[in-house]
Amino acid sequence: MKKILPIINAIIAVISGLFVLLGYFFPGVFGGIQSTLIGWAIILAAIALLLGIFNLAIVHWKKIGSEGSRHINSIALLVSLFITIIIVSINGPTGSWSLWVFNSFQVPVEVSLLAVLAVILVYAGARLLARRPKWNTILFLVTVLVVLLGSAPLFFIGEITPLSIVRGWLAQVPAIAGARGLLLGVALGTIATGLRILIGVDQPYGG
Amino acid sequence: MDQVLSSITNYLGLLFILLCLGLILFYLLSDRGRARLNLRGIQAFTHFRREVDLAVEAGKRLHISLGRGNINDLQGGSAFIGLTILDRCARAASNSDRPPVTTSGDGVITILSQDTLRGTYRSLAAEERYDPTNARMTGLTPMGYAAGALPAIHDEQISTNIYAGHFGTEIALLTEAGERSRSLTVAGSDSIPTQAVIYATCDEPLLGEELFAAGAYLGAGRVHSASLRMQDILRWVLVVAIVIGAILKLLGILS
Repeated sequence: MKKILPIINAIIAVISGLFVLLGYFFPGVFGGIQSTLIGWAIILAAIALLLGIFNLAIVHWKKIGSEGSRHINSIALLVSLFITIIIVSINGPTGSWSLWVFNSFQVPVEVSLLAVLAVILVYAGARLLARRPKWNTILFLVTVLVVLLGSAPLFFIGEITPLSIVRGWLAQVPAIAGARGLLLGVALGTIATGLRILIGVDQPYGG
Repeated sequence: MDQVLSSITNYLGLLFILLCLGLILFYLLSDRGRARLNLRGIQAFTHFRREVDLAVEAGKRLHISLGRGNINDLQGGSAFIGLTILDRCARAASNSDRPPVTTSGDGVITILSQDTLRGTYRSLAAEERYDPTNARMTGLTPMGYAAGALPAIHDEQISTNIYAGHFGTEIALLTEAGERSRSLTVAGSDSIPTQAVIYATCDEPLLGEELFAAGAYLGAGRVHSASLRMQDILRWVLVVAIVIGAILKLLGILS
């Protein structure tokens, strides 16, 4: 059975992948089966989400048992998870208590992390020259500075027109050209990855 | 003639995919006798291989973060590359006392990473080393995911952090944590704004298609090398097509 199961998995994955792909090009013939398969995938993804939360709870439950000093974070997580599940189960996902939990805890914590992120990015930019002293690093930092100064009016000086013009050109010409070049590489890489799975060579599903 | 052209335009995507598939199969067959493909050096992969060896010797851990891409859309492609990297890491660290730990921000990716680890250990006849808690889902929102992955970086004696998948700007929190814990960070993503953040905050950034070349560089098999050659050829074909298109438009031939 251990040898047969990976083969069955591969056959199911390849056939399903083919039907979904063909559904994009021949919607009249394969459109129905494509939408059915995508519907199943969405249901399975929702079940996977529940399993992921269960996995998260197990990881932290184990941490409480094994670690000494830092298990307070794991206890906080498990207690919060338990309370949130109870509140949302009773009140519904859009109920007033559920929204109160979300707006009072989740949103402020995420916004705080976003603020930390802004500081980290400024710090990383300043440290970049020490980390990678190359000409393209200097170009990167000069571009960042020009775009920042050209994006918003400065105190007492107001808008610096030449910088705004340079910023506009940077955003419209080199940035878009570079982004398209990168996207081209990413798109080809994604196609190659998809095809490897479609022909059954890459089997990330336990094959 | 117009009907033929219209049909070709309608099925151009399918023709392109068939061309990609044909090239992969062609290079797969033509490279059968070759020992190894000569690849241009990418510093990130050279350092990565060295750090994996050092981590095994020092009894330290590798942390592979697969991002929060959903496999039901385009973001899943980069996460699959992350799974290939996970497989190579688990194989390389199979002698280590500390198996690699994986974090992700999506349920499906978590299950696939567990499956990848199990499959890798099974193929090495070391199934007893598999622990499902080594592949974790740390959070579902971008910041929640990053916040959940931070303790793994700080507390689990990590020597190298590999970020391969779909991330947003929250990756800066993770790379900064890697820097603070004095571990090497290698990162690649399919998102363009994230690549800018990675360039500024990461020790070894993987830009553009470099992430998708990971399989070929880490020796994941001949098909990875064949698909890399396909990508190289088609990139030039597309560049030439874009340049010709631009010239034709400049001359007023194309509207």
